[in-house]
Amino acid sequence: MKKSYIIGLIAIIAGIVILLSASKDVTTYATFTEANSSQKRVKISGALNKEEDIDYDPLTNPNAFSFYMIDTDGKSSKVILKKPKPQDFERSESVVVTGKMQGETFIADEVLLKCPSKYKDEELQIRGTAS
Amino acid sequence: MKEDIQYIGEHLWPGILGHILIILGFTSVLFSAYSYYKSTKNEDDLTWKKLGRAGFFIHGISIISLVAMLFYIMVNQWYEYAYVQAHVSAELPMRYIFSAFWEGQEGSFLLWMFWHIILGLILIRKAGEWESGVLMFLALAQAVINSMLLGIHFEIGDTLIKFGSNPTLLLRDTFSGPIFEKADYLVSISGTGLNPLLQNYWMTIHPPTLFLGFASTTIPFAFAMAGLFTKKYTTWLKPVLPWALFSAGILGVGILMGGAWAYEALSFGGYWAWDPVENMSLVPWIILIAGVHTNLIARTTGRAIKSTYIYYTLCFCLILYSTYLTRSGILGDTSAHAFTEMGLEPQLIFLVTVFAVLSLILYIMRSKFIPTFKKEESILSREFWMFVGALVLLFSGGIIAFSTSLPVYNAIATLWDPEFVGTVIKDPIPHYNKFQIWIGVLVSVLSANTIFLRYKTENMSGSKKIAFAKSQIFYALLGIILTGLLSLWLDYFHWKYALLTFCASYTIIANLLYLISVGRMNMKMASATLSHIGFGIMIIGVIASGLNEGTLTTNPFVMKGLIKDEDLAKSVKLIKDEPFYVNNYWLTYESDTVIDKTRTFKVKFEKEDSLLGNIDPFYVYPNILYANDFSKVAASNPATKHYLHKDIFTNVAALPKSQQDIKYMKEEEDSLKYVTYTLSIGDTLFTKKNYGILTYTTFDPTNKDYDNASNDLGLGVGINFYNLDKTDTFQIEPAIGLKENMLYQYPQKINDIGVKIRLNEQTFDNYFSGEDDLVYTEIELKKGESFDYQGETFQLLGFEKEFTDPNYPAKENDIAIQALLVNSNDQLLKPIYIIRDSKPFNIKDYLAGTGVHARLVSINPVNETFTFNLAKDKRTKEVVVDIAENVPRSDFIVLEARVFPGINLFWIGSCLMMLGFFLAFWQRRITRNA
Repeated sequence: MKKSYIIGLIAIIAGIVILLSASKDVTTYATFTEANSSQKRVKISGALNKEEDIDYDPLTNPNAFSFYMIDTDGKSSKVILKKPKPQDFERSESVVVTGKMQGETFIADEVLLKCPSKYKDEELQIRGTAS
Repeated sequence: MKEDIQYIGEHLWPGILGHILIILGFTSVLFSAYSYYKSTKNEDDLTWKKLGRAGFFIHGISIISLVAMLFYIMVNQWYEYAYVQAHVSAELPMRYIFSAFWEGQEGSFLLWMFWHIILGLILIRKAGEWESGVLMFLALAQAVINSMLLGIHFEIGDTLIKFGSNPTLLLRDTFSGPIFEKADYLVSISGTGLNPLLQNYWMTIHPPTLFLGFASTTIPFAFAMAGLFTKKYTTWLKPVLPWALFSAGILGVGILMGGAWAYEALSFGGYWAWDPVENMSLVPWIILIAGVHTNLIARTTGRAIKSTYIYYTLCFCLILYSTYLTRSGILGDTSAHAFTEMGLEPQLIFLVTVFAVLSLILYIMRSKFIPTFKKEESILSREFWMFVGALVLLFSGGIIAFSTSLPVYNAIATLWDPEFVGTVIKDPIPHYNKFQIWIGVLVSVLSANTIFLRYKTENMSGSKKIAFAKSQIFYALLGIILTGLLSLWLDYFHWKYALLTFCASYTIIANLLYLISVGRMNMKMASATLSHIGFGIMIIGVIASGLNEGTLTTNPFVMKGLIKDEDLAKSVKLIKDEPFYVNNYWLTYESDTVIDKTRTFKVKFEKEDSLLGNIDPFYVYPNILYANDFSKVAASNPATKHYLHKDIFTNVAALPKSQQDIKYMKEEEDSLKYVTYTLSIGDTLFTKKNYGILTYTTFDPTNKDYDNASNDLGLGVGINFYNLDKTDTFQIEPAIGLKENMLYQYPQKINDIGVKIRLNEQTFDNYFSGEDDLVYTEIELKKGESFDYQGETFQLLGFEKEFTDPNYPAKENDIAIQALLVNSNDQLLKPIYIIRDSKPFNIKDYLAGTGVHARLVSINPVNETFTFNLAKDKRTKEVVVDIAENVPRSDFIVLEARVFPGINLFWIGSCLMMLGFFLAFWQRRITRNA
């Protein structure tokens, strides 16, 4: 057999193995309801609930803070993140948390924030100065 | 209507000129591409070539002028321009003007184009017979990037099509708002300025390097395309090589700088996080490395020419694809990087597609003419295994690009099925690592033994085979020994990591020995082995710093492994001056200082040794940056203590609630319950849990918040505070100051007992009377005479005619005189009398100590008498203080400290790798010119 065929065959097999292995690493964004029923580690995407309090008092516990988040179903739930509060957290629009549900609270160990772009901020500022 | 308004203060010429330059730049580069195209068709006729050059020169002048003009309007802060308004502010230091320039997408496209122009000019000088073909494709690439600045908007049906974004647009044409109904809107507009996170020198050096890297990948691509287009399928392989090597080096340095930035200046806590943005700059680099290897094969053996075409083209297309991914906003919430969306997604997709499709078509049309060999290479030849190595790199890049593109598949799937639920990678870091470990293993092994094989080897004698095998076994054994030695220092945790460490050690040793035995004589091989050694060292650095990374500031009584990782606290609270013990270190937060908007903390680390006590003390200085208006914390900048064998990385993760945001500070202040006490010096006051004795008053407060220079008048009250449960005495001095007729409080807080004390404003009134409350007495004096006033004796010493006084702004034609009155304590009162425009004025002077006010109100030149008005403060000497208890303490920081062992190996290794590319580039450059 030609060597290029052997290499090609190995590459194809490797490709399939990688694909199979990688497919286990992907997940869809869950909702709080799904997280509650599955009790597994999941990712939830949603928006910061600005009506509710964001509570972070490093004096009592520097490694935890809580906030409320609205998931894609529109359900708001309390989230406790086991980390110091990221800077500018209040301004973030969309939030992605990774963790597990414990009772009524989602315990997260990772968070990813998306802040509104500068330009939007700017628009507000310009409108603000005018009014 | 807006159009009817005559705006005041606008500079309109840069907008017009900018538009002209963009259009001129675009058309001239298209013209250049076309002329070069014609030139490739008829090489003997130099006219088209000259026209191509002329077009490129005009383009270069246009774009560089545009850059210069944009700088000019940014430096002058002409906020009528949207780009200026968005990236510059009055507070922005000039040293960040470059950063501000390329913070925006338009600026970074200009930077990219700038490098294309520089590279193009070098090519015009150096490329010789390849000039026309290469410049034609470079000009095409440049035209496409130039189109990103065109700023042409039109509507097809209901959808607005944006074709580029012009950086010289007026703010009022970009935004609409009621503010633009005012003709003088400019006076009420201020700049946004540069994001505080980007205000450091990395933002000045990283983007230009990275964009030079991006721009330089166009050259191998242009050579490859020119080779196909002009049907010179093999001769381009030689002149392209130094360009590809340079590109590999500079793009690598650019990527590394990004990692160094993330590690040194951002609070990410690491140099690589497999973030999509990082990934998509790494993938083209990996593919480029594959291309460099096949290029070397092709140069020497004539094989793998097709692969070289494919890799160089793929590399360039991936750079464009990466531009699309990072700038279109499609990455959404999978990336921590913040992007500004410009609504140019369709154009970006168009850009990627055009180049991918065109180069594919050209390749398919011409591929049958590309020379190939019927007979396969022998597995004993170097080219065979280098080819395999390049394939491994292709796989590596492919896997990363495939996973990073997940949001793209989601977006495409949503097009067919709007209900489609997109997927994400649950834990990206382990996902990428698990594949790249094997890439690391394969690349290490291949680079260890392939270098000992020779090109074009068809067969090897038995003894040679045995010698080869023996030496490889010997190197591998040395590799095992090195791995074993390293295990004394590092944990491998899993056999996979031990294997990777072994492979890296193996390649280091094999290449090192090759360098000593063969490479000495052969500079070209020396640079290759240098890069391979660098790769091996880098891998060991990754194992050391990544796998063995540890958190210092973790729950001190919890062993790792006994607790779930997510419950492991990563940072600790450090109360000022109270040493805190974590993982063999005593940490003490000693002090903090504020300069401009930066608050720097001084934290002491002392290692505890059971025998020697506390040893090896060192300080780190992490800081936080406040927002422009000081309302809140905008960013934190870590500080790292560098050792040869490890780094200790520290970051202030949080501040007390009241210091995070002015909102919380107000909330806290409002929640305090103050009780007011009125007393005199020597009196004792009792609160619920504490008592205090008033010891003194001073008009020069020593309270550290109080600034003597900026206050006109100040009062501080010394109080010794005692707690009923504690033996400590707390000496404090709350103060109050008057600055331009406003009273400022300088309260004092005793964090240890949660007490906050401020001087009531009544105290100020008790000591200092306002002008309305003063009762003046008139006194007439001659020079040298004395008089008694309210128990004090004053003498009129004389006058100054030449004087300066902060309270007296001198004016031309003034007649001014300053009297000198001295009291028995040698304190001077210097009232001023002025005649300005034939009218008399006077400026009073005041002695805070005794509370005497003096004015010189008139002068009688006939009998040389001077009339003074004197008054005295009431001075009831009653001190009124407000005291709150149960105040939350605010004298602490939340600190995160991590150890990165052997991180220098990562930097050294990766720098060696790049050095190898630059050395090789230099080598080839010289041989080419010779």
